[in-house]
Amino acid sequence: MKILELKNVNKIYNSTEVKVHAVNNVSLDFEEAEFAAIVGPSGSGKTTLLNLIGGLDMPTSGEIIIDGTNLAELKPSQLIDFRLNNIGFVFQSYNLVPVLTARENVEFIMTLQKWPKQKKDERTLELLTAVGLGDRINSRPAKLSGGQQQRVAVARALASRPKFVLADEPTANLDSRAATNLLEIMKKLNQEERITFIFSTHDPRVVKMAHRIITLEDGKVVSDDNRE
Amino acid sequence: MMIWSIAWKNLWRNRKRSLVVIVAVTIGIISGVLLVGIMEGWINQRLHDAIYNEVSHVQIHNKEYLKNEEIDLTIKNYDQLTNGIDSLKELAGRVNRTRIFAMANTPWANTGVIIYGVDPEKERQVTEIYKKIVPGGGRYPDKQSPADILISDKTAGLLKLKQYIITDGVIAKLKEERIRADILAKLEKHKDKRFRSPGDFREMLKQEFNKRELDKAGRLITEYALDYRLRNKIQVTFSDLRGTPVQGIFRVCGIYKTTNTGFDQTAVFVNAGELAKLYGGGEILNHEISILLKNIDDAGVVRDKLSRIADGNAVMTWKELAPDAALMHDFMIIYYFIFIGIIMLALAFGIINTMLMSILERTKELGMLMAIGMNRRRIFQMIMLETVFLTLVGAVAGMFSGWIITEILGKTGIHFSGWGEGFEAMGFAAKVYPVVSFGFFVFVTAMVVATAIISSLWPARKALRLNPLEALRTD
Repeated sequence: MKILELKNVNKIYNSTEVKVHAVNNVSLDFEEAEFAAIVGPSGSGKTTLLNLIGGLDMPTSGEIIIDGTNLAELKPSQLIDFRLNNIGFVFQSYNLVPVLTARENVEFIMTLQKWPKQKKDERTLELLTAVGLGDRINSRPAKLSGGQQQRVAVARALASRPKFVLADEPTANLDSRAATNLLEIMKKLNQEERITFIFSTHDPRVVKMAHRIITLEDGKVVSDDNRE
Repeated sequence: MMIWSIAWKNLWRNRKRSLVVIVAVTIGIISGVLLVGIMEGWINQRLHDAIYNEVSHVQIHNKEYLKNEEIDLTIKNYDQLTNGIDSLKELAGRVNRTRIFAMANTPWANTGVIIYGVDPEKERQVTEIYKKIVPGGGRYPDKQSPADILISDKTAGLLKLKQYIITDGVIAKLKEERIRADILAKLEKHKDKRFRSPGDFREMLKQEFNKRELDKAGRLITEYALDYRLRNKIQVTFSDLRGTPVQGIFRVCGIYKTTNTGFDQTAVFVNAGELAKLYGGGEILNHEISILLKNIDDAGVVRDKLSRIADGNAVMTWKELAPDAALMHDFMIIYYFIFIGIIMLALAFGIINTMLMSILERTKELGMLMAIGMNRRRIFQMIMLETVFLTLVGAVAGMFSGWIITEILGKTGIHFSGWGEGFEAMGFAAKVYPVVSFGFFVFVTAMVVATAIISSLWPARKALRLNPLEALRTD
């Protein structure tokens, strides 16, 4: 089932003296439960593409359709609510709310969505146990290692059962062991929850585990390799 | 609920900075509570004294008397009017008085006075002058000694009826107050010497003692050495009903002192019957009816009722008779606004500064929150709640501390000894008992919340204008 569709998407930056064609005529489809990596050298447009897919930035031309909704047709306030209900985010530098515990960070999105307390508690415990932090639910981010914080971020991203999760260089700040551990957890959740993961990454370990590898160069898709 | 929890937790991210603002709010509120407490204490005191010492709630005079103050301009249709007054359900008490302008003389000085011819017993039911007799100042007039006159401490000074004598008794009292022996030894030199004016006595003290000694003991020495020349005669002169000057002799029975030097300077009290003997005509003249009501708020209603039967008499409420007290009473809310407004303005700047810093530090986090789906309304709500919490914590601490301090000072009083004379000249007591009403706390709470909400608008607007993508890129 197609959950995400990019049609002739372009992003051109005019801010400098020269025009930068950061994303150049990209057309891609993503199905349910994909585990896809967008790879390419620095400046190839990976992060820009992820920002466009996540509705954090708008394309200069082309369409991005998520589950039948064209992002360009949404007002800014509707876009925020759309992100809340449909997209999970995992950032390179974890970006947890420092004053909240692991449990509260995971609950946060469900609270914004007004989930009933019992359902919220069950889902939080389920996810934190799944990422191996069942015993650290009341720890604040400052008390957790980088790998643990990123696992909380993954649990948060999955909490509301989004259509897909966007992960921008999720392993960039992690050591090898933590990175492998995180990837295994994400892969497991991808299969269990049937939620699509789309990564931008340089990390060969991520590339190795991905089912689909999209390679970007100068904003263009140069290869789209489906290994399944 | 989550937003409330995050807002509260965010408050304590930079504990030191938040505490500085909270302490500033606390001190600001304590100052506000205390300032308003003192103001309210003074206003209440002035209002009480104006009503219970000077003008009561309602007074009636002949309209012409108010213009000319001639002895023959008495209240018209007195019996009909008093019947009307006595039938009022709002009435607590009433007295009638003779009121004559006169010159008072002693062998050493003279001064202009207003002689109030009163029934001392009835007067006790309406005024509190009988409670204002100074220590060592004799007694309130009574009917057993008809030629008595009650004068004020101020009038006693003007008529040179105040003297100062250092007696063995004075030295013994000072010893009890633990005044140092060397000070007492210097006083011994002046034992039994009579100082006929406060000026002479002050001069002696200045020569004998240095400033530190005077600061320590001057007030007590002056207080104990003061000796009123009670039972001294005062001659009063005024025009009788035919316009012929008449003179009468009264003996000082007591000295009173209210907080209003202006009133004290002129008002002397004698038995109305004794005064009537001087101006002739065989009956007591009624120039003034003073009415005390059960409730101050009824003054206007009673004035309107009595005006209908006044017939050539003027019925006036305390607001017209003591306009200074009325003005202060009516303008209390404006004082509140001014004092608290200034404090809130200062606080608002501190709060805005703190919140702007807090927003700047959290740019990336706010970007992340917007990215993952926290909408602008919730972001605004969070920033506003943080500001309100920050302010309310300080405000609650300030109001509680201010209330405790005001309660204590309300019992002990604050003595503005250095400015006592100045205050008393304006009708205010030198010792003030701060009091803060419940309404004031409600008012301050409302102002604090309003200030916090207004102060939050700028930082919140700044947060709302963040672009999530750009915010996420900041370090």
